[in-house]
Amino acid sequence: MKKITVLSGKGGVGKSSIAASLALSLSKHHRIICADCDVDAPNLALVFGLRENNFEEWKPITTNKKAKLKPEKCTGCMKCVESCYFDAIGWDEKNKKPVFKDFGCEGCGACEMICPEGAIELFNIDNARIGYGKTKYGFPVVLAQLEMGESGSGKVVASVKNMAESILSDADIMIIDAAAGIGCPVIASVTGSDYVIAVTEPTPSGFSDLKRALQMVNHFNIPHSLIINKFDLNPGLSKEIERFARNKNIEIIAKIPYDKSFMKALVNLKPLTEYDHKFKPLFDDIAEKTRERLFGS
Amino acid sequence: MKIAVTGGKGGTGKSTVATALAFELAKKQKVLLVDMDTGCPNDHLLLNIERKPVKNVYQRIPKWDFGKCKRCGLCGKVCETNAIISVKNKNPMFVSSQCNGCGTCVIACPTKAISWGRKEIGKIYEGSAHGVDFLSGELKINEPIAEFVVDAVKKELAKREKGYDFIIIDTAAGTHCDVISSLTACDMALAVTEPTPLGAHDLNLIIMLLLKLNLPFDVILNRYEKENEPLISETIRHYKKSILAKIPYKKEIMEAYSRGIPVKDDSIRKIAGSVMK
Repeated sequence: MKKITVLSGKGGVGKSSIAASLALSLSKHHRIICADCDVDAPNLALVFGLRENNFEEWKPITTNKKAKLKPEKCTGCMKCVESCYFDAIGWDEKNKKPVFKDFGCEGCGACEMICPEGAIELFNIDNARIGYGKTKYGFPVVLAQLEMGESGSGKVVASVKNMAESILSDADIMIIDAAAGIGCPVIASVTGSDYVIAVTEPTPSGFSDLKRALQMVNHFNIPHSLIINKFDLNPGLSKEIERFARNKNIEIIAKIPYDKSFMKALVNLKPLTEYDHKFKPLFDDIAEKTRERLFGS
Repeated sequence: MKIAVTGGKGGTGKSTVATALAFELAKKQKVLLVDMDTGCPNDHLLLNIERKPVKNVYQRIPKWDFGKCKRCGLCGKVCETNAIISVKNKNPMFVSSQCNGCGTCVIACPTKAISWGRKEIGKIYEGSAHGVDFLSGELKINEPIAEFVVDAVKKELAKREKGYDFIIIDTAAGTHCDVISSLTACDMALAVTEPTPLGAHDLNLIIMLLLKLNLPFDVILNRYEKENEPLISETIRHYKKSILAKIPYKKEIMEAYSRGIPVKDDSIRKIAGSVMK
């Protein structure tokens, strides 16, 4: 199964809209599956008009541990407080006992390891929900949602990709929609990908974040190409992005004009190419170029 | 007063609001703008601020004294982030990019063969423009833990915050680690959203987080169009909230943004008026 990741660095440039319409075009010739790897704010299912109550499966998963205190064993030595690098253990001066905070615990086990009394234990927590739904376009979308305030997004992203591989193991292509940013969850999305499509827009932020995102992609040595969305918003800056791409030998596989249909399609819970058919040839072309890159012509 | 600008979903206009609000407030007040979107910091681009590096941000990482190491493999066994690959009777291998500096290996090592080194994971910058002082953090490429850079910016902020009437803190997209760390530095939050089902969905998530953190908040609607407004007003009704300000959806605003010009609109003056009360 080939894996394509759609990313952008900056949020709101059109990643999910583009991933969804590309998926639709690719699904004409291939068995595909989509993986929404924005586990903070998963939106790809919604772009296909799929809501939580229509999911085939939606269950808690555990990828993290958390520390808790057995107060009867604690002697108040404070070693755990000092050992925590994540500032997740406070100190209750009145009761001379550590306080394990709601946020911040990474489940690393340093406090458990250092406690001379065995007064701390790690327990598994359900830090996310994971599942999938079947879109009306014939292919499934796998997604996960981190529980509020829990950590471990990288491992949850890995679980989404694993689930996608297991529920449709004979798929030709997995399309991965990454989160905004370039940190932990995005690195986990890109890891193991065969091809990256970077989406940008001609704004100073869009261009700057693109460059940062591509540096990360280059680190993993993954072939990639570029889509400039809203390219007519600032033709001067679009030219500059094109120059940048030429110098770096990055193929620009599409330039998409600014179009309110993007937002209207989202409001109507339809992929762009289903909402506004004029976009179909464009996405068929992007799909064709993607197929060539993945499988040769 | 420290105000977080956040929103859950990416690209809803957090930086647009943060920079425009800082610009507006700075007409009469002393304002510090802090960019805590360390993965993709952009506020300096929007305000054309030339940033100067202030300091490097480091994360601690373990280092091994192989003279003392008995090759027992325990350090690899206790590492929850798979940063240490240890096979019995061989020197452990360390993958620095996986390490979160937790220190469990250092504590676990029976021969005290592991001590602390450090790696650079980001930088803190400063600057000023249009009467707005500026502070920002930037995560180094391929470093996963944005939260540590946010924490370093918070420390720097604590040293500098005296004398400012308003501190505007622009957070990253999302609702986790680094965003939580940014929010816990603030007195209130502005949640910026857009009138799409995606905006509404993610606004719900960020509101649940803000409630959990006990942080007072207001909702700003960007890309406002009358027919789509109910998507958001319905979402926030059961939190007994109404929309504080609406930034209209106009191509001119998008174009000004694409040229790095702060948005000037009645909606921004309305937000400024509200936070000054």
